[in-house]
Amino acid sequence: MEGVKLTIAIIIAVVLQWTLRNVADFFMFVDFPLIIVVYAALQRNSIRALLFATISGVAVDALSGGLLGASGFTMTVIAFIIAEAARRVYLDNLILRIPVIAGASILNSVLFFGIHKLFGQEPAGSLVFIGAYSLIGTMIGGTLIFLLLDAISAGKLKPRKREMFAQRRQTRRRNPIRLTK
Amino acid sequence: MAPWLMVALLLVNFVLMALDARESSSGKLVVRSWTQTVADFVQSPVTTVSAAVSNYFSSIANLRSAQDENTNLKQRVQELEVELRQKDGLSNENERLRSLLQLKDESKYKVLTARIIGRDPSAWFNASIINRGSLDGVTLNMPVVTDGGIVGRVTAVSPLTSQVDLITYSKSGVGGIVGEVGATNALGVVVGTGKTDILEMKYVPGTAEVEVGQPIFTTGQDGIYPAGLKIGEIVNVTRGSATTAHKIEIRPAAKLNSMQEVGILLYQPPQKPEFEQRVTPDQKKK
Repeated sequence: MEGVKLTIAIIIAVVLQWTLRNVADFFMFVDFPLIIVVYAALQRNSIRALLFATISGVAVDALSGGLLGASGFTMTVIAFIIAEAARRVYLDNLILRIPVIAGASILNSVLFFGIHKLFGQEPAGSLVFIGAYSLIGTMIGGTLIFLLLDAISAGKLKPRKREMFAQRRQTRRRNPIRLTK
Repeated sequence: MAPWLMVALLLVNFVLMALDARESSSGKLVVRSWTQTVADFVQSPVTTVSAAVSNYFSSIANLRSAQDENTNLKQRVQELEVELRQKDGLSNENERLRSLLQLKDESKYKVLTARIIGRDPSAWFNASIINRGSLDGVTLNMPVVTDGGIVGRVTAVSPLTSQVDLITYSKSGVGGIVGEVGATNALGVVVGTGKTDILEMKYVPGTAEVEVGQPIFTTGQDGIYPAGLKIGEIVNVTRGSATTAHKIEIRPAAKLNSMQEVGILLYQPPQKPEFEQRVTPDQKKK
């Protein structure tokens, strides 16, 4: 069930990436496929995340002026790193996931820019400008999409909520040594 | 399993990139054209639906200003009627003169209208996808224009769609002249700056007379664009000297951000003389 949900999510993400720039320019800074790839990688299923990364990356590149396969390459690397990290480190809390999206966005921009430079293709924008705007757009979009995806999987909603705002456990301590009577 | 799959997928992507980079230099974009064709089956209907929804909402928003616009348009119609009568007179005069000179009225190039069905999904590039492809007779490097001026050139062609790189792309270059061809000697190269509203004209001699507001036209010497198409207008000039060139900033004549339809000029540049043609590495060896 989780796999079907994520497959539908990645298809919608690619279609949104293809079309939303026609509606408003700001949407070009929200990397929808990257958000879903990060979400899939955080589910600790690295194979699914890697396949999503390559397929969605190539689909986006097909209609882009850049190199075919560049997004696929960068997103595959990111998916692997996050999936491996998620297996070793606790990242199920939304607050912890926001820096993960931010890191993924920065790494995506740097790798994408570097690959194009390596192949002698000059991207139209500067790394700092587009990287910064993509970071903001993807972070905001990613947080909202993560909340939405968590809410859709209703079975997981309650534990997630508890994890999201984890309360500090208050243990009552008693001093075994009594100094006074 | 996962590390091996990652390596395999990275290799696939790397091969795709290498093929694409090689194809873009040779001009035969086989892999890209097929991926575009596949993507077009999804993108085209989705764009049509999203454009319809977007237009519906924008038309509701526009209703508010419709009354003011109506008044302005009525006034404009009256002005145009006067202008039209004057032009009718000029047209008749022109006809008479043509018949006197026995000139044939023939248009220089055929124009194929196309609709923009998509814009670059990546923030790093600014290409546009149009709904005409090789089945309509579009080939690589054909110039794309609007009624305002030139837009760019075709950089990838699939059977149903084509990709257009705008003149604002930092790697684009157009041979330009300040004013009409033959009227001045202020020749240069118009290049993209990466910004959507500013182009830069390089190599214009510092001794040439240039002013803000002057139009820039194509020279036809770049082997892509025909001569006489409007590129834009000068908005800023950093004066050069006898030994340094002017640095000229131009605002594109075409509204590159808001265009919906464009025209593809079915234009093939004249063949260059043999000595100007590129020598291939094989020929060099011989």
